[in-house]
Amino acid sequence: MNRLTADQARQLAARVVALTQADAAETLVISADDSLTRFADNRIHQNVTETDTRVSVRAVLGNRQGVASTNRLDDESLAGCCADAVAAASAAPADPEFPGLPSPVPVQTPVRAAEAAAGFGPEQRAEVALGIVRQCSSRLIQAAGGVASTLQTVAIGNSLGVDVGMETTSVRATVLAQSDRGGSGWASFFGPDPAGLVADALGDEAATLAQRSEYPADLEPGSYTVVLAPEAVADIVDFLGYLGFSARSFEEGRSFLSGNLEKRIMSELVTISDNACAPESFGLVFDYEGMPKRRVPLIENGVATSVVTDSYWAARTGRENTGHALPAPNAFGPMTLDLMMGAGDSTLDEIIGSVERGVYVTRFHYVNAEDPVPVTLTGMTRDGTFLIEDGALATPLKNQRFTQGAVAALNAVKGVTSERAFFDVMLGSALVPGLLIDGWEFTGQTG
Amino acid sequence: MRDLVFAAINAALVKGARYADARIVDSREQKVSVSDGRVEAIESGESFGIGVRVIADGSWGFASSAAVTTEAAEQLGRQAVAIARASALVAGAPVNLADVGTFDTRWDGPCEVDPFAVSLEEKIALLLEADEAMRAEDAVKLTKSHLGFFRAHKCFGSSEGSYIEQTYTESGGGITAVAVAGGEVLTRSYPNSHGGNWLQGGYEVIRSFDLAGQAPRVAEEAAALLSAAPCPPGVTDLIIDGSQLGLQVHESIGHPTELDRVLGDEAAFAGTSFLGVRDLGQLRYGSEHVTVTADATVAGSIGSFGFDDEGVPAQRDHLITDGALTGFLTSRESARAISRTSNGCMRADGWNRIPLIRMTTVSLEPGEWSLDDLIADTDDGLYVETNSSWSIDDKRLNFQFACEIGWEIKDGERTRMVKNPNYTGITPKFWNSCDAVCSRDHWQVWGLPNCGKGEPMQVAHVAHGASPARFRGIRVGVGR
Repeated sequence: MNRLTADQARQLAARVVALTQADAAETLVISADDSLTRFADNRIHQNVTETDTRVSVRAVLGNRQGVASTNRLDDESLAGCCADAVAAASAAPADPEFPGLPSPVPVQTPVRAAEAAAGFGPEQRAEVALGIVRQCSSRLIQAAGGVASTLQTVAIGNSLGVDVGMETTSVRATVLAQSDRGGSGWASFFGPDPAGLVADALGDEAATLAQRSEYPADLEPGSYTVVLAPEAVADIVDFLGYLGFSARSFEEGRSFLSGNLEKRIMSELVTISDNACAPESFGLVFDYEGMPKRRVPLIENGVATSVVTDSYWAARTGRENTGHALPAPNAFGPMTLDLMMGAGDSTLDEIIGSVERGVYVTRFHYVNAEDPVPVTLTGMTRDGTFLIEDGALATPLKNQRFTQGAVAALNAVKGVTSERAFFDVMLGSALVPGLLIDGWEFTGQTG
Repeated sequence: MRDLVFAAINAALVKGARYADARIVDSREQKVSVSDGRVEAIESGESFGIGVRVIADGSWGFASSAAVTTEAAEQLGRQAVAIARASALVAGAPVNLADVGTFDTRWDGPCEVDPFAVSLEEKIALLLEADEAMRAEDAVKLTKSHLGFFRAHKCFGSSEGSYIEQTYTESGGGITAVAVAGGEVLTRSYPNSHGGNWLQGGYEVIRSFDLAGQAPRVAEEAAALLSAAPCPPGVTDLIIDGSQLGLQVHESIGHPTELDRVLGDEAAFAGTSFLGVRDLGQLRYGSEHVTVTADATVAGSIGSFGFDDEGVPAQRDHLITDGALTGFLTSRESARAISRTSNGCMRADGWNRIPLIRMTTVSLEPGEWSLDDLIADTDDGLYVETNSSWSIDDKRLNFQFACEIGWEIKDGERTRMVKNPNYTGITPKFWNSCDAVCSRDHWQVWGLPNCGKGEPMQVAHVAHGASPARFRGIRVGVGR
């Protein structure tokens, strides 16, 4: 069974909508080829591929809803899935706040499926892994990481006429380089195709950082000026989206934006939007109800400006539907999946050069939230943490634990890099710069 | 199914595979959730497919598809061999597997009341009753309650001759009350946070939880947290309840003892382990009060099965014995690195994933204390319940956990409630500070249905038995 084209997926969605004996129905089709080559200890140890097509049906009876899904695509199974959705809706109590399925809105779907990604097979992934491993093994450094490709087709149809479909591709590569002298380095690539993926350069970046970070030293816990490389910033921005940018958390008083719209809550250097339609994006341009994803300014020069919605939370709050629905049934509310933080005008090197004493962080590890409203996060640094002295990276440091409010940290931003990079994060992707932040709280270090 | 499994295996062998196994997995699930008096989700799903894993040219290859026909299975077998040969372009030492017997059998988990036969109306009514009871508390501004059910039927075969069918059913649920005021959000959950509690079994599991009966207490405690004092920073004696201690075991013993992690296979994603193979039998992991087992035979645990996804029989093994590291969680491949046979920890979260080393029921064995006596024996300390946040470094050394609720202990009495308590430590130092573990009367198996590991991400259903225990001199109130 092959991955469906956008037209095939739209036709399947329409067929399943027609099969559903309900007042209204919506079908989501996700068809994907996912492949991944993993390496560790300078050898490939895992190499997998998967093809699957999943159909999810939302049946509506009056203002009651039920959802069922299957990956069996024969007529009998699809009919059974539709019947399960209808049975679920029949059992549900009436929901007076359900606004009904959304009506169609025109969606312009750009071509975001790269042919080069489709030809990126196991031999090509192995070649990338080999290039990375050579850079590391020649320096007696152990390489680990992965080379992955995703070819995905998503289509949504509903009985009111929504009929959208789109193919996307992505390629991801990661490199962890580790020396037996305590050095650890990291490099990553995330893009729509393998065109920008240069294995030797990626391996060299990680291996050089690993060599540079050998024999790490202790750091006293305390408040430090930090320079966060873009990948570290991606984790922070990701949690802002998870905890605060949704109309649901806003309305329930659980967001740092609750009661703060039109107020300055972050540094004026901070501008954040959600924008799936930006030319550099390579994801879906419609949400999981088939509504166009709109660019939503969330923080503009430090001022809280807006939240994202889906059809339910738009109707409930009287806001515009910004096109941020997750697949039904959605217990989380609308979510940002394409966050972008504005760039500054200084290079990363210039920002490091401006710091008399501070800490440079390549990336974070295992970040989690301890307090939702201030977005208090804890996590560890990883794969290249350095003391900054007199404007240059100095002593490598052991991995540090931080316990820090993200909103407070973004209110203490003193510099933003001109370089930005895409990362795949917990919620979709994020395009972020590096940041210079005052008063970052390190609360411990690894043993 | 047997014919399909061996069609895939034989196709791989014809193409030159030295070893092949295939799994067909047919799973279904149902979820019902209520929030703020509104039925938020009624959802059912099913997934069916086949995955083929091979060793060819000394390397691994895996291919999977939702197409489950003889022709598709044979194609997958050939594709998996081609992928293995691509792996061999960057090969290490040839993959070899520890020996295992061959089995032709089936295993069925417990299930008294088929949860898929219980009406949706009954499930919704239970959740609405619990939800309403929580909303009776004025300070509670957000409520959530949910039930979930999962059933899988697996057919495993290997080129060594095993063919094993297994069926198991899991049921779980929980309730959450969130008090909101003055920019503070404080949560209480029952029977556990992050998905409630899960056990193998049918709807009888849900009835045993008494969600509606516990709802008023849960809401009352959430409301009380609003006026509770913040957890004061300092170093104190910490008593941790069984549910949080289960997660502590999970993060700081379960994951570090996964031998694939020890050997570096997960380095680039979730990290490695502070442990090395050399530490086996040498490292003092904890105090003499700390004995930890990995047991896939615990009745009713979601960490239990008849055979793992390499066809290795379920076992009970000691990871830590009286404080000494005595074992790892292993696969057939990794077990050879420590000259042992596999203790049967390889599981995949579906037909489309390779098996990885996963925890089974990894438990801190009970001691002899009662909780009342333990508190009475503590002059100055903190008692905490129910996880709210967790984080641990890439070698599983530096951890920080936050809990939903805590109480100060003064002169052997549980006194003032505190909110947002957290604590931090370094794994072996922390476990060596354990000086008391509560008895089997307090010991409970906590099902964890959301253990993430690997790439592509796999979510395993694992479990931990634990009773409350005391740790001396722990840093609490971090960053407060």
